[in-house]
Amino acid sequence: MAETFGAVSCYIVGMHRVPTFITIALVLALQLSALARDITSEQLAFFESKIRPILADACYECHSNEGGRVKGGLALDSRDAMLLGGDSGEVIVPGDAEDSLLWVAINYEDADYEMPPKQKLPDHVIADFKKWIEMGAPDPRESEKIHIKTEIDIEEGKKFWSFQKPKKVAPGAVSQASWPKGEIDRYILSSLDREAMAPNADAGPDIMVRRLFFDLIGLPPTPDQARQFHQQWAESPDAAMAYWVDQLLASEQYGERWGRYWLDVARYAESTGKETNVTYPHAWRYRDYVIDSFNEDKPYDRFLSEQIAGDLLPIKSDEDWQENLIATGFLAIGSKGLNQDNGRQFQMDVIDDQIDTVSQSVLGLTVSCARCHDHKFDPIPTTDYYALAGIFLSTETFFGTVTAAQNKRPSDLLELPLNDPFGDGISVSELTAKKDKLAETVQEIRELRLDRDSFQGNEGARLAQRVLRLRSQVKLIEADINSYNDDGSRRSFAMGVQELDSPVDAAVLFRGEVDKPAQTVPRGFVQVLHHEETPEIASSANGRRELAQWLTSEENPLTARVMANRIWLHLFGEGLVRTPDNFGTTGELPSHPELLDHLALRLIEHDWSIKSMIREVMLSRTYRMSSDYDADYFEKDPENRYLWRANQRRLDAESIRDTMLAASGQLDLERPRGSKVAEFGNARVGIRVNESSIDLPFEYRSVYLPIVRDNLPESLALFDFAEPDVVRGTRESTNVPAQALYLMNSKFLADQSKAMAWRVINGGKTNEQRTRLAFQLTYGRKPTQAELQSTITFFKTFHPLAMAEGQSHREAMFTTVSAFCQGLFSAAEFRFLY
Amino acid sequence: MNADFFSTISRRSALKGVSSGFGYLAFAALADEQARAAAAGPLAPKAPHFPASAKRVIFLSMRGAASHVDTFDYKPQLAKDDGKAGKYGSTRGAMLMKSPWEFRQHGQGGLWISDLFPELAKHADDLCLLRSMHTDQPNHPQATLQMHTGSFQFVRPSLGAWSLYGLGTDNASLPGFLTINPFGSAQNYGSSFLPAIYQGSKIASRSALGRFGRGGGSDQGMKVPNIQSSHLSRDQQRAYLDYVQSLNRHSLEQKVHQPGIEGVIESYELAFRMQDELPKQIDIEGESEATQALYGIGDGPSDNFGKQCLLARRLAEAGVRFIEITHSSSWDHHRNLRNDMERNASEVDKPIAGLLADLKQRDMLKDTLVIWAGEFGRTPHGQGGDGRDHNNKGYTTWMAGGGVKGGFSYGATDEHGYEAVENKMHIHDWHATILHLMGLDHEKLTYNYAGRDFRLTDVHGSVAREIIA
Repeated sequence: MAETFGAVSCYIVGMHRVPTFITIALVLALQLSALARDITSEQLAFFESKIRPILADACYECHSNEGGRVKGGLALDSRDAMLLGGDSGEVIVPGDAEDSLLWVAINYEDADYEMPPKQKLPDHVIADFKKWIEMGAPDPRESEKIHIKTEIDIEEGKKFWSFQKPKKVAPGAVSQASWPKGEIDRYILSSLDREAMAPNADAGPDIMVRRLFFDLIGLPPTPDQARQFHQQWAESPDAAMAYWVDQLLASEQYGERWGRYWLDVARYAESTGKETNVTYPHAWRYRDYVIDSFNEDKPYDRFLSEQIAGDLLPIKSDEDWQENLIATGFLAIGSKGLNQDNGRQFQMDVIDDQIDTVSQSVLGLTVSCARCHDHKFDPIPTTDYYALAGIFLSTETFFGTVTAAQNKRPSDLLELPLNDPFGDGISVSELTAKKDKLAETVQEIRELRLDRDSFQGNEGARLAQRVLRLRSQVKLIEADINSYNDDGSRRSFAMGVQELDSPVDAAVLFRGEVDKPAQTVPRGFVQVLHHEETPEIASSANGRRELAQWLTSEENPLTARVMANRIWLHLFGEGLVRTPDNFGTTGELPSHPELLDHLALRLIEHDWSIKSMIREVMLSRTYRMSSDYDADYFEKDPENRYLWRANQRRLDAESIRDTMLAASGQLDLERPRGSKVAEFGNARVGIRVNESSIDLPFEYRSVYLPIVRDNLPESLALFDFAEPDVVRGTRESTNVPAQALYLMNSKFLADQSKAMAWRVINGGKTNEQRTRLAFQLTYGRKPTQAELQSTITFFKTFHPLAMAEGQSHREAMFTTVSAFCQGLFSAAEFRFLY
Repeated sequence: MNADFFSTISRRSALKGVSSGFGYLAFAALADEQARAAAAGPLAPKAPHFPASAKRVIFLSMRGAASHVDTFDYKPQLAKDDGKAGKYGSTRGAMLMKSPWEFRQHGQGGLWISDLFPELAKHADDLCLLRSMHTDQPNHPQATLQMHTGSFQFVRPSLGAWSLYGLGTDNASLPGFLTINPFGSAQNYGSSFLPAIYQGSKIASRSALGRFGRGGGSDQGMKVPNIQSSHLSRDQQRAYLDYVQSLNRHSLEQKVHQPGIEGVIESYELAFRMQDELPKQIDIEGESEATQALYGIGDGPSDNFGKQCLLARRLAEAGVRFIEITHSSSWDHHRNLRNDMERNASEVDKPIAGLLADLKQRDMLKDTLVIWAGEFGRTPHGQGGDGRDHNNKGYTTWMAGGGVKGGFSYGATDEHGYEAVENKMHIHDWHATILHLMGLDHEKLTYNYAGRDFRLTDVHGSVAREIIA
C-alpha cells in the first residue's frame, strides 16, 4: 500500500503500533569557520561591491536554494553551497581561476557551459571574478553548521523481539499425539490446544492436488497428473504429497512461480516510471536470473550477496562474473525521476530507493523512514541511514537511459563478459551509415552555433530550439552506435552497479535536504542489529560486500526470519507476521513466535535452502488442513490467526491467466527470449511503448509479460498485480465489477474459450465426456450431478440462441461449447483455492 | 448437439433471482443494520436513521496533503513572523514562512480564502471551512487510509462502503460507490469485512486518464474497458451468465460462509447492468458547451479535473451514493511550493467552482454533500525555502451543500496554523459528521463481524452540530 509522495516522503506500513520509547533531538550549532574569520575588510568590500550583486542579478534566478531553483545541482547563494559545486563537480578552485569551472563558464569557453546563458557578462565583471577567485574566493556568506544528534537508545531498542536472535524453544505438549507429522505441527497444535481449539480435518485429494500444484508452480495439474495423484493418495497421502512436492520443486515452472514472488519484493519493472517513463530494455536479464536462481535452489544467503555485491564477489569464470553482474540489477531497477534538475537530489533519491529496497526486502525494516529524521517508531537514528547511504554513495548505478528533453539523468550500462546479445546485428555498412549520420548531425550543430550570434529575437530562439533537438538526437545516435561492436554484432548489456574508485562517507542531510549537509558519518549498518560478526568496512572498501556479509550472517536476527515468513505467507495466504515487509514496532507481532524462530533456524541449518524449507512446510499436517468453516471457531478467531483451518485464497493474477491458457491448451511453457520491451530499446512509455504495442496476446507464462511501470498488462493489473514501486511482500485481493466485465467481455476470454472449446470437443465422444473433461481442466475434479444438470440446461438454452443468429447447427454447437468454457473460467471456483 | 447428452439427464431450469442477499444470514446474531441490509437486498435503497440533509456525497480528494496556511486557513500572525524561528517539535530550527499568496475575504460570510482559488472564492457563501482538523499520523499512506477508513492500523471498510451499506443506492445499474482515478492502496475504497458489493469500483484510472502518464493535461474522454462483449449477443451473454451464477450457487450450497463467492455473484449482476448504464453516464460529450466551459473543460490545466468533476455530477444525478474523485497531481509540496501549488490550484479551481455552480443550478447542492480534503495539512514553517513539511496536528478541509452552513468557518488552529486549538475536529469526528449529514447515526451504523459490532468511528467520534444549517 505504499505511495511515494516526492523525494522526502516517508513510508511505513503501520499495522500495529506500540508506544515509542524514542526521543528525538536535533542540535544546531552555529560555528564560524576559520575561513570566514580570515576575510579582510578589503576582501569583504570587494565581495560585497563586485561579486555579490552580480551573483544575485545574473545567477540566483537559476542557482539558489532560497529562490527554489538549483539547476545542475548548483546553488550559489551560500559559501558552502558554492564550494560544494554542482552535478559537474566543484565550480571554484580557490586561488586558481583557470581551473575553476565558474570561470570557464562565464568566459563562454566550453559550449556546454555558457553562463549566464542569455548574455555573456561584461569583460570587466569577468575580470573581477578572476581577481576574486585568485584571492581565494573570500566569501562572508556563512550558513549554519549543522550537527545532528540522536537520542535514540540503541541498547533499549534491542529489547524488541525482532531485534533479538531467534531462539530454539521446543513446542509445548500436545493433546493429539497422532496429529503432528513434525515440529511445525506440534507448534501449531500446542497453540490451538491453549485456545481450546482443534485443527480442521485433512482436506481431500481434489483440494490438495490443486493446492499443491498452484502453490508450487502456479499452474493446475493436468488431468493425467491429477489422476496419478489420486491413485497415489489412495495408497498413501503422505507418499503422494512427498512425491509431488519433489517432482514440482524440480520442475522449471517452480522458479517461475517463486521467482515472481521475489520480483514483487524487488519492485521489478522494465521502465523508470514517474513523469518521464523510459524503458529499461535490459531489465529482463535480472528477471531470468531470479527465476534461474530459484530453480537451482541457490542458497538464500548467496542469492542476497549476489544481488547486493555481486560485482565484488570472488569469481572463477566469466560465467560467474556474468551472473553476478546481472544480479546487481536488483539495485538498479527501481523507479527514477529522470526529469530531476538537481543531480544531487537525483542521486540521493536513487540511494533512498536502494536503502528502502534492501532494508525492507531482507530485514523487513523501513530504514528509509530515517532519511529526514530519526525513525519515528523504530530505534534507527538518521545517522544509521546515512551510514548506509555512504555505502551506496560509493557505488555507481548503471540503468541505461539517454539524455532527452525530459531526461536529465542519463546513465550507462554494464557490458557483459559473455556474448549473449538481444536482437540481431547489422552489417558494417549499416553501422558506417549510422556513424556518418552522427558526424553530419554534429557538424550541423557546429554550423548553427557559429551562426547563432547573427540571429536575434524569434529567429535566434528558433535556432536555439533546433540545436537542443539536434543535441538529443546526437545522444540517441551515439547510444545506438554504442550498442554494436565494430563488426556490427550486438553488444550484451545489463543493468547493475559498480564501486567507485575511492569510496566516500555520506554527510547526514538535515531534514533529508541535499543542500543542508551536517556532519559526515562513517559507512556502516543499522546499529540496533549489530551482532558479533558485524564486519568492519575498510577505508578502501565501498562496503557493499560487508553489507551483504552482515545481512547474511547467521547472527543477523532478521534475515532468516523475514524469509521464512515470506515462504510461510505464500503457502498459507498469511504470514506468521502479517506485515512481511515490516518487522519493526509498527509491524504486527508474530502469531507463533516460536514457530517462526524454528523456521528461521531451520532455514539456516539447511544452508539457506529455500526448497528444503518449502518442502518441510508442505509436508506438514498443518498444510493439509481443510478450509471448512466452523461457526464457533470463526466467532472466536475470525482471522484464523491460530490456524485452525486452511485459509481460502484467491489465485493471483498470473495463475488466473496461466490457468486459462493451460486449460485452453494454448500455454507455451517455453521461456521467451528477452522481453517485448527490449525490442523497443530506449523508448518513452506512452509514445512508442504503449498498450497497443506491448499488451499483446502472448501465450507464454505471465511472469514473462512486459512489466512497464504505469502500463501493466490488463490481465495482471485487474487482478491486483503488485505495483512495482516499492517492496511488495503481499498482494491485495479485490473483487470488483471491472473483473467481472473482463471475464464476460474481453477478447482474451473469448480467445481462450474458443481454444478450449476445440480441445474439449475433440477430447470426448459425448457431451457428457466433454463436460467432464472441461471440469477437470478448469477445476481439477468431476462435475457434481447438479452441475451436470445446470450444464445441460445451459446447452439447451444457449444452442437455439446461437442458431437464431443464423449459425449452422455445428457452428452453434461450437459457440455453445465456447460459452460453456467461458462460464467455467468465470465462475468463482476457478479463481479460488480451498 | 449429441442426442445422448440431452436424453441421459433430464432438464432442469436455471435458478433465477440471484442477488438476494443469501448467505448473509448464515452465521452469528445479526445487528439490526445487517438484518435491514440482508432483508432488502444489499443494494436496495434503505431509509436513513433520521431524515438526511445529504442524499449523496462527492468527495474531492487532494492527495499529497494541501497546505492549509496557503489556502483556507488565514494566518496574519504567520505573515508577521515570517523568517522567525519556529518552535515546533522535531523540526526545530526551521523558520516560519508566510504564505506567498494574499488572502482576501469573500462573500456575505466574509470567509478568508487565498488568491490561489479565485473561482472557488466566488462560492464562499456555500463553503463550510473546517479549520481545526487533526489526524493521528503524519505519513501519507497511513493518514490517507485513516481519512478513508478511520483506521491506519487495521483493514477496515471505507467511508464510501459504510455509506452504501447504510443507505443502499438509488441506481442498481451502477456501483453505489465509485472512485475515479484513485491513488494508493485499494483499502482506501475497500469493504473489508462488509460484503464485497459495498467495495468502491474504480473507473478510468487505467484507461483514458493517466494510464500513460500522470499530472494534468487533456485526455481523450473516459472509457471503461470491456464494457461490451467482444463476442456474445446480449441474449447469449445472459444465458452464459445464468450458467455462471448456477455454478456459483452450487459452490455456495456446498460450503457454508463464502463471502468471496457471494461477492462474485453480485459483481456479475452489477457488471451486467453496468454495460448499458455506465457508457451513458460517462459520455460527457452530450453536455452543452456552456456546461463544459463551466467546469473548465478544454481550458488547459483544468481540462482533466474538469471532466472528472462533470462526471461526478452526472453520476450523482444518476443516483450513485458516494463518488470520490482524486486529483491527479500531488499536493505534497516539500519543494517548489510557489510554482507547483499555483499549478495544482489552477487545475482544480475552475472545475470545483463549476461543480458547485452546476449542482446549484440543478437544485442538487442542497442534498449533495461536497467534501474537499487532503490527508493532513502542512507546516507553517518552510522547508528548503520553498516548501512545507507534513502536519497532522492542524489543517483544513471544507464541505459544501448537503445541509452544512455556507459562508461558515468552524474551529481554529493556533496563531501560526500549526495545531488545532478550538473546536478540534478529529478524523473520527469528521466521519461522524459526514454520516450524520447522510442521516446515519455513527453509533448505530454497525456491522457484526466475529462476535463484535464494528463501526466506522470505532469508539470515538462526535458530530459537529454547529456546522449543520
